[in-house]
Amino acid sequence: MQRILWLAWRDLVLEFRGRTGLFSVVFFLVVMLFVLALAFGPAPQELRKAAPGVLWVALAFAGSLLAGRAFGLEVEDSTLDDLLLLPGSREWIYFGKLLFQLVLLLGVGLVLLVLAGGLFHLPLQPWGWYVLVLLLGSLGYAAITTFYAAMLARLRGREVLLPLLVFPLVIPVVLAAMRFTQSLAEGVPVGEVLDWLRLLLVFDAIYVTAAAMLFPHVLEG
Amino acid sequence: MQLSANLSSRLDSLTLAILALGTLGVVVGFFMAMSSPPDQSQGYVARIFHMHVPTAWMAYLASFAALFYSVAYLVRRRAHFDRVAAATVEVGLIFMALALLSGMLWAKPTWGVYWDWEPRLTTTAILFAIYVGYVVVRGAIEDPELRAKAAAGVAILGSINVPISYMSVKWWRSLHQTQSIDLTTGKIMVDASILVPMLVNLAALTLLFVGLVRFRSIIAAREAAREEV
Repeated sequence: MQRILWLAWRDLVLEFRGRTGLFSVVFFLVVMLFVLALAFGPAPQELRKAAPGVLWVALAFAGSLLAGRAFGLEVEDSTLDDLLLLPGSREWIYFGKLLFQLVLLLGVGLVLLVLAGGLFHLPLQPWGWYVLVLLLGSLGYAAITTFYAAMLARLRGREVLLPLLVFPLVIPVVLAAMRFTQSLAEGVPVGEVLDWLRLLLVFDAIYVTAAAMLFPHVLEG
Repeated sequence: MQLSANLSSRLDSLTLAILALGTLGVVVGFFMAMSSPPDQSQGYVARIFHMHVPTAWMAYLASFAALFYSVAYLVRRRAHFDRVAAATVEVGLIFMALALLSGMLWAKPTWGVYWDWEPRLTTTAILFAIYVGYVVVRGAIEDPELRAKAAAGVAILGSINVPISYMSVKWWRSLHQTQSIDLTTGKIMVDASILVPMLVNLAALTLLFVGLVRFRSIIAAREAAREEV
């Protein structure tokens, strides 16, 4: 447990010291939201209708852009082998990187949520539910992207391969999270759409477990 | 090791026999399908079904086989399982493409559109995308062991995803909108004049599938043996 936290903490510190990666992703997403808001036209109704979809697709892009960060530094500094040499099972590497990805995605997601509230007139009133769906959705993204990022860490074409592999898999997350967000925005009582949250929860549980189990087998060495 | 590689890379007569029988069966099945009477509501268009249903079944069978052999590879670590898993995916992709294509050709005159975002279609398209990813990953990795492990990971995670996305796409569509197009698929299965050619085609395609997978595995085994030397 302690190892997991240390690994995530170390990666986060390195990420914030480096800055360039995270900031360029956030800036890319801001520009993307801006262009999309322009494309959907000035009518607030239209914008509000498009907001959940835009939000979750933007986060999916962020997920695949940030996925390379998790293992990119390990490969650049060739510290991946050192990590693998540590005694004990290797699942903790997965969980540490997962935590790192999750924190990054949550941060980006919160920025996006506020931006969508402003640019797309998304009412952020029951904000607790928004944060919850953001948490579950980000966990779903992170579970998959972390796994594939580890697998493809040493390949040259990974920037192209990652989205190709990740996007078909995250479709259930995008659908469920988007539908829930949409219902929140439309003011549908939360009790009626809890099924979407349950689907997200099931997805997260299955994927975190499956990926953690497969991780030691798939990682090199 | 060398001996087993040689054995599995030999083109045996069983594979050839299966391939020949399968090819013959497809020809027979084609003529049977073409001579079947037109459907009451759909006319001659229903003949597409004789091709479409068996290819779709083979596509799903391929995904189960790929899952099975990928798990088998991760447990037993025998290169043979990896080659068979890859072969099922490659052959399965062809069947999946045929199923999607023939389905679209059938949908246009029947539903009026080539594509509908209905759960079965959507998940099949997702499955197709996952297996395209599988083939691309295999192409990108040169180290045979890493390639096998990565491919197994993709196949296993991908096939876990199919039931989940089937459910989510189903709920996604059924919670809000009413279906605009009535799916009349269940109606067609009754008549024997249609069922028989479909079963013949199914048997023929199963043989072809098995034969092609064996053939592809043999080629892969030969390639692996040459790389070793």
